[in-house]
Amino acid sequence: MRPIFDPFVLPFVISMTFVLLYCIIGMIRIIFQLPKEDRRKFLRSLIYPKSALKNFRDLVNDCLFHTKIWKRKPLLGYMHMSIALGWFMIIIVGHFESITFSPLRGLEVPFMQKMMSNLYLPIFFRYFAIEELSLKAQIFSFLMDFFLLMIISGIFIAVVKKKKPKKVGMKRVTKFGIKEDMVRLSLWTIFPLRFLAESSIANIAGGSFLTKYLGFELVFGGNYNETLSMVFWWLYSIDLAIFMTLLPFSRYMHIPAEALLILLRNAGLKTTEPRKGYAVAEIYSCPSCGLCIDVCPMSEVKDNYKNTAVYFIRNIRKGKRRRDVKNMTEKCLMCGKCIEVCPLGIESLNIKIAQRKKTYYKIKSDFSYLERLQDYKTTRPQDDLSAHSQKTLYFAGCMSHLTPKITRSMTKIFKLANENFEFLDADGSICCGRPMMLTGKINEAKALIAKNTELIKKSGAKKLVLSCPICYKVFKEEYQLDGIEILHHTQYINELIENDKLNIDRSDKRYAYHDPCELGRAFGIYDEPRNVIDNIGLLTQGKSDRDMSACCGGSIGSLTMSMEERDEITKNTIKDLTLNQPDEIVTACPLCLKTFARLSPIEVKDIAEIVVEGLEG
Amino acid sequence: MNEYRILIIGGGPAGMETAYQLKNLGLNPVIIERNDKLGGHLAQWDRLFPSSDSAETLLEKLKDQTKDIEKKLNAKISNITKEGNIFHVTLSNGIKYDAAAIVICTGFDLFKAEKKQEYGYGIYNNVITNAELEDYFKTHNDKRIDEPKRIGFVHCVGSRDVKVNNTYCSKVCCATALKQACEIKDEFPYADVYCFYMDLRMFGKGYEDLYLKAQKDFDIKCVRGRVCEVSENIEGKLVIKAEDTLLGTPMKMTLDLLVLMCGMEKSKSSNEIQKMLNINNNEDGFIETRDNFSGLNLTKEKGVFVAGACTSPKTLPDTIAEARAAAMEVFNYLKVNGQPSLVQ
Repeated sequence: MRPIFDPFVLPFVISMTFVLLYCIIGMIRIIFQLPKEDRRKFLRSLIYPKSALKNFRDLVNDCLFHTKIWKRKPLLGYMHMSIALGWFMIIIVGHFESITFSPLRGLEVPFMQKMMSNLYLPIFFRYFAIEELSLKAQIFSFLMDFFLLMIISGIFIAVVKKKKPKKVGMKRVTKFGIKEDMVRLSLWTIFPLRFLAESSIANIAGGSFLTKYLGFELVFGGNYNETLSMVFWWLYSIDLAIFMTLLPFSRYMHIPAEALLILLRNAGLKTTEPRKGYAVAEIYSCPSCGLCIDVCPMSEVKDNYKNTAVYFIRNIRKGKRRRDVKNMTEKCLMCGKCIEVCPLGIESLNIKIAQRKKTYYKIKSDFSYLERLQDYKTTRPQDDLSAHSQKTLYFAGCMSHLTPKITRSMTKIFKLANENFEFLDADGSICCGRPMMLTGKINEAKALIAKNTELIKKSGAKKLVLSCPICYKVFKEEYQLDGIEILHHTQYINELIENDKLNIDRSDKRYAYHDPCELGRAFGIYDEPRNVIDNIGLLTQGKSDRDMSACCGGSIGSLTMSMEERDEITKNTIKDLTLNQPDEIVTACPLCLKTFARLSPIEVKDIAEIVVEGLEG
Repeated sequence: MNEYRILIIGGGPAGMETAYQLKNLGLNPVIIERNDKLGGHLAQWDRLFPSSDSAETLLEKLKDQTKDIEKKLNAKISNITKEGNIFHVTLSNGIKYDAAAIVICTGFDLFKAEKKQEYGYGIYNNVITNAELEDYFKTHNDKRIDEPKRIGFVHCVGSRDVKVNNTYCSKVCCATALKQACEIKDEFPYADVYCFYMDLRMFGKGYEDLYLKAQKDFDIKCVRGRVCEVSENIEGKLVIKAEDTLLGTPMKMTLDLLVLMCGMEKSKSSNEIQKMLNINNNEDGFIETRDNFSGLNLTKEKGVFVAGACTSPKTLPDTIAEARAAAMEVFNYLKVNGQPSLVQ
């Protein structure tokens, strides 16, 4: 007869109760911090079958299988999956096992004790069980051993990752303090201890290939020693207790927080406050994995790696001095690469913008001219066309006005394509509003957006072509231009080529294409420009492109980055782009163009320029 | 005749003056010039600030001084090796010299105005450079300059501009702009002429007088502020946007002609030679001198000297003074280290 209770389970039971209470209270707090409208949206999303199904799928994919990490770094993907899925399965299968073969079967146990025993029995099942030889029992113990082995293999990779990050494909990993090291050590030792504890008693409790044959027979030499066994069970329980108690204060809080984040995100919520509600869920979901460090363009300058997303989030979480957080917020280039690699998709940029909203910047904006302005002084469409075809608007934006080669080329392309176009801001534009957005001045941005919307709608056009990805982003996200199709000129030119409206001579010139952040990562416009270049010349491969394309260094996202720091980023990006000896660098953003042109050894052109060259050549 | 020569690389004002002074000191210089004529940028210029004296007069004087000196035109240096204190120099046409000293006088290139795309050079017809305007004064042959009624001058194009990586002041453009402004006003008395400047640095002899004269006698309007954007309206006229920083207001204006005051960059023609002689540039891209005070003609390489605008932007008087100093440095060097037999 085995006992049905032993004091060694107490450390675990107490710490587990604490963690559960902590998480529940935290969750309720977050939900209550949400704006009213968001809260309603969230609760509704939990009930709707469609969103509930998506929630379930995402929870399984992201929390258990970690598909996002698999895609980038398979080895790390396996590491996370083996620990997360393995642990989850041990808990689930363990529960079924302990219910099926409960040592309480046939015993007269008071209800309360029965309930309490459910807390620890699945975890320490072997200690209280007696080996059963039925096939069902054997299958259970095989599964338990299998998942235990899976976790231990994952932990092995984790140890390798800690010692030699390069082996798992990482250059730099996050630096941690002693507390985090302790929590990690407690996590790493949980399962080896479980293995030892279960093995030590396998002659009584039974087990499968791992605990019984490898553990009991080999490690313990087939001898059962009660004292030794007790030591391991105590260690196992205490180790679990250490981990559970420290979990809310460590990066492993991401385990419960991630589940909540997925639900909130699927409800369509976004960060509006930097330290409340959704942002808190994001901040606690950060596992400090440091994947964002290697990709962050800021890390080009040695000391700036401290401003990368992982450290930013950590500082907010620690409640670091407001000034430190503010400085980090203002340094960021807002290129969005960190979000692209983040296995949890934490949108740290939104937290940063929310934080910027809190800061008072001395920007004197005088918008009185908006009221006086009745209409854009456009260049008139060609008369013969205006009668019988839909009008297309062209909005160059302020940056394109500083690169007149782009506006010239676009005008030429419109004419050659026989388009009935109107150059809306030929005489100067009202700002699109994006720079104000980036400084967190949402109301000012809204004023600009409203005026532009009014004037654009007035024109009666059905298509709006933009040359600047910075404009494109805000037009796509913030403008309500119902019925008007918004295109960046890469998309527009690609359309023309596909509809055979432009006859381009293909040359054997070699072009490297740089993906602008706000076109690529923000909207996934990767193929259109490449199609266009394929029609003009040869596209050479850079070191990293598409969603991993590096910032040009000129981003208006950063408020404080110095020219020297920017230059380092630019030089590095040019080096990446010119890896395969292109003749020219091509981009689709006037700001990228100007930034590269300063430092590039080869010519830098906008995609519209090379199209025009192709037409003339 | 001594067997060892003093090699002067570059036949502009600095090179010609250095050669002349070395000859006076009894040495035997030879001028290597990559173009088919001497004079460098001076030969392209019509008149010189502050007094609008003829550039040709000065050029003729410099040429006259060097008429007995050996010159190699259309020549490039293909190789230099050093043996002891002697440089073995091979030219592209195979001629060889053994030189006891080398003086680099490669001067400057004008900033390429295309790099500032927002000013529209090479895009809009009526945007020209300071050099092109000077050429117009000489030849009166430029279709773009056709009775302009409104003319703008943009100072500091490619100078004091982080965005093109040139943070230094080119030193000559302020005075050149005002000189050219007066001259074009002289040519087209009914035109309005505007100068857009950041600071007016009228530091030299007679410069301040030029500034006063431009305002009082020629009615040149000086606007403190940078032009930020140039575009073209439907009639093909230039539309510029600028800011009057003294009034604190943005301004917009149509112009018939815009002149860009392109600054100086160290001439790229010296790159190869520098590599052969192991001589570096400063952060601003100009050739590094031994110090900033008394070693301005010296490089870290013994026997290699510098003079003129290859070490920093310089006015003509500065350049000529520096050329003379360089000659003296060469003389002193040979006396102590080099070939005492050369210096009697």
